[in-house]
Parts: sequence; C-alpha cells; structure tokens
Amino acid sequence: MNESSLRKATPGRLIAITVVLLILLSPFLWLLQMSFKTNDQILQFPPPLIFRPTLENYVALWHSAFSASFVNSLLSASLSTALALLFGVPAAYALSRWSGRGKHGLSFAILVTRMAPPIAFTIPFFLFYRWIGLLDTITGLVLVYTSFNLPLVIWMMQPFFDTIPVSLEEAALVDGARTRTVFTKIVLPMVTPGIAATAILCFLYAWNDFFFALILTRTNARTAPVAVVNFMNYEGWEWGKIAAGGSLVMAPVLIFSLAVRRYLVSGLTAGAVKG
Amino acid sequence: MSESGIDGERRRFIAFALTPSLIVLFAVAVLPAIYLIVTSLTPFQLTTPGSATDFSDPLRNYALLPGDPRFVNSLAVQAKLSVASVLFQVLLGMLLALLLNVPSRFVEFARTFFLIPMVLPPIVVAVIWKLIYAPDISPLYYAARALHFTLPALTSSVDFALTSIIIADTWEWTPFTFLMVLAALQTIPDEYSEAALVDGANRLQIFWYVTLPFITPILVISGMFRLIDSVKAFPLIFLLTGGGPGTVTEVTNYYAYLLAFDTNEIGYSSAVTVVMLLLVCGISLGLVWMGRRREALA
Repeated sequence: MNESSLRKATPGRLIAITVVLLILLSPFLWLLQMSFKTNDQILQFPPPLIFRPTLENYVALWHSAFSASFVNSLLSASLSTALALLFGVPAAYALSRWSGRGKHGLSFAILVTRMAPPIAFTIPFFLFYRWIGLLDTITGLVLVYTSFNLPLVIWMMQPFFDTIPVSLEEAALVDGARTRTVFTKIVLPMVTPGIAATAILCFLYAWNDFFFALILTRTNARTAPVAVVNFMNYEGWEWGKIAAGGSLVMAPVLIFSLAVRRYLVSGLTAGAVKG
Repeated sequence: MSESGIDGERRRFIAFALTPSLIVLFAVAVLPAIYLIVTSLTPFQLTTPGSATDFSDPLRNYALLPGDPRFVNSLAVQAKLSVASVLFQVLLGMLLALLLNVPSRFVEFARTFFLIPMVLPPIVVAVIWKLIYAPDISPLYYAARALHFTLPALTSSVDFALTSIIIADTWEWTPFTFLMVLAALQTIPDEYSEAALVDGANRLQIFWYVTLPFITPILVISGMFRLIDSVKAFPLIFLLTGGGPGTVTEVTNYYAYLLAFDTNEIGYSSAVTVVMLLLVCGISLGLVWMGRRREALA
C-alpha cells in the first residue's frame, strides 16, 4: 500500500509536533529544572535560564524522613503487586478457560469494583483498620492496593490467556498431565511478557496512590507522595525540596511506563485509579 | 483416564484458580460497600459513643441531602468541572491525534513523550501545577511581571479557581483521549480519504465526512471514561484550592472527604458517597449499554 498524500510527515508538520510537545511538557520540565536550583535561584527574577545545577535538594531529601517514606512506597507497591498477581493470574486463566454461563457478568462485576470512587472504599477501610489496628501500617496499605490491583490483573491477563490455543493444553492433558502442571509448565511461560507488563502497571497504580495513603497512614507507613505534600505544610515551603521530592516520586513511573506503553490503554481503561 | 475424568479434574482446577480471587474481591469490595450503606443509615461520629449503631432514624442523612446547600453546590461544581474538562480533553486529544497520525519513525518515538502527564503520579501533577500557579515563583507570573502586567492569584480567586483546576486536569488527561483517538484513526483505511481527494474534496470536507464518522464512537467512549473518572478528582483540588475559595471548587468527592476526615461526620459522609456511587454506576451502565449497541450495529 502506498502512503497517503494526506498523512505525510512534512517538515512543517514535524516542527508543529515538536512545538506542541515542548508546550505540553513545559510544566513538567519546569518542576525538573527547579529541583536542581537553590531556593535563592528559584526566587530570583528574572529566572536564570542558565545556572549551575545543584544536587543539594536531593542530598537534603536523602538525609530527611523522606527516604523512609520512599522505602515505604517501594515496599507497599511491590508487595501488593506480588499478591495481586498471585491471586489474579490463576483467576484470569480460569475465566479465560471457563465457558460456563455468567462468565461475562462475572468479568464485568470484577471490573466494576475498580470504577467506584476511592472514597467509597476509604471510609469502610478506615473504620475497619482503626478497629483492628491496621492504620498507619504497611500491611494495611498492601491490603488496599492488592484489592485495587486484583481486578486489573484479571482484566489484563485474560486476553493473554485467550490467545493460547486450548488444543495445546488438551494434547498435554491427553498425554496424562494434570491441569496444574499444564498451567504452570506450559501456559504460564507463554504469558510471561503479559505478566511483566501487568506487574509494572500494578506497581505504578500502587506507587501513584495518594488518597489511600493520605487517610490510612500517619507517620510510620507514610508513602512518598504524601511526604512530598508534607514539605508544603510543615517545612515552610521549601520549593527546591518539593521539586526534588516530586521528581523522585515520578522517576520510577517514567522509566516503567516507557517499558509498558503498549499496554497503557488497556490498563487505564480498566477504571483508572485517580484520587 | 476417561474424557470426563479430564474434564472433571479441569473443572476443579478452574474453580480452585478462581475461588481465592472471588473471596478477596468479596471481602474488599462487596463487604465495604455493604458497610458503607449501613454506616450511611446512622448518625455515626467517631467521638459519639453508640452513634455507629444508632438506627433510630435510618433515612435521616438522605433526607438532609436535598436541603444541604454544600451538597447541592458540590454537584453543580462537579458538573461544571466534569463537563468542561471532558469537552476540552476530547477536543484537544482529537486535534493532537490528527496532528500525530503520520507514519514516521520520529513521530512514533515522540508519541511516548505525549503520554507523560497521564502516567505521572497524580500528586506530582498537582505539585507541578502548584508551582505554575504560585505567584512568587511561577513562570506565568514571571512572564506577567516582565510584561508589566498583574495576574490575580489564580487558585484563590473566585473567578479563576475552578478554571485553574480544569486547566490542570485537562493537561493531565488529554493524553488519554489522544491515545484512544489515535488508535481509532489508525484503523481508517487510507483509500477512503484518497478516494474523496480524487473526487475533489478538501481537507476539511474529508475530516467532516470521512474521518469524523469513523472516530465518533471512540470520542464518545473516551469521553465517558473521562467522565466517570472525573468524579475522582482529588489531588488537584486537595493541593491547589482545598475546595475553596469558599466552596467554589468543592466537588462532591471532596465534600465527602471533608465530612468524614475533617469534620468527623462519618455517617453523613457515607450517605453522600452512596449517592455518588449510584451516579457513577448509572454512568457506567450507560457506557456498557452504548458499547453493546455499538457491537449490535457493527
């Protein structure tokens, strides 16, 4: 097929794309450059476009309580991802292979649990955690994030299992293999790329959360997103630190989302957690 | 082993694989929903002993809602925020997609960078816009100062506070509609517009009569997705305006948050949340219904 004369990468179009991209990214770039400035440089007018970048904001964060909250974020995001995969991957396989009636209803019901606004979960979780002593614990956060990521895993993994022909499994079954063996030895290795992409998306959702962490943690289990905001409230608007904290929180997200950009749409349409 | 033996073993495995997830989902989604509804029937406050189990006037909270000016106002604010930001996001996302719908290595590479605002942690997006809207350090205010022009404090102004939230929300989520529309554009065969071109149609006519009908369903669907999600807007409001000035940017979600975790009105907040849930479910069901209709038509 020859290329359309209407959809051509003309120089004018490429310049337009570059300009639009720069405008779109300028707020993000502003945060980034600010994280390498001293507070004096930040307040300078006119703002210096060429300046000697400093790492002092990052060093200060490293020596503050922020590093502990960064570890909390890492822990709660990775543990909840592992748990969601542990429960969700077999369930996605089962849904993919189960031909019974009610399959679509069940898939949809699972998806709906992700569409509800987080506040609807936060109130019951807060009361329950308060009662059993899970407030301000990593365990508490892991539980919430697992419950939020489980539908995502089921929803994202099912199509991967769908692409594996059942005849492949039947052959092994006829040869006398047990279903469990077929699942772990034949099916799972074939969907490894899907599991990797799903894991990264789960990690990002847990990592990006602000709302649950704000309400369900205080100091011990405080995550990095909440810690960034706390710089504003208690440490007298240290813009350099705020910018550096923000940059650190978004670093893993940028790296990981580039890795799974092909799966971003399906992941996000599973009811984006935002709040 | 007989056929039915294999089938039986397989069925047991499927049930075994599905059960843990269903139990977890029941425990973390269905039970909290029930708990939320139960709580909404009480005047629950953490500081009032016995209030959590006081079912003497179960519909009190719901009866109060229509007469609560902050609740009614929050619905109006939500409607303004949702409608404006969804319209902007669909329109800008479509324009971006049209601009980037070219077969080119460079453009394909650049596309990834257009997605950055959407994947950033929502609180980082809020921090970014906090910087942009902060009078003493913002590039906006620097520019205004250089031009000897005074910009009002946008996020604390009655006139601009909601607009400043809408702008930030649009920045954050336009990549989403862009991605969806681009995917739809790439399914349109070039032959259609080529044929129209040969017939003497201009670019605008081709867009209107060929491209637009093709992408209308995806415009509607991505708009609906954004509409459902716009109810969850929290970090932007939390960080930029705190619902203010007054209640100008206090959406229902934020009002429910303040009620439960600021003023301790947990029972009443639960009622507000239940109403919100019903609204979201209504919109979601509408979305599914439209999806079905589309499948039926196709």
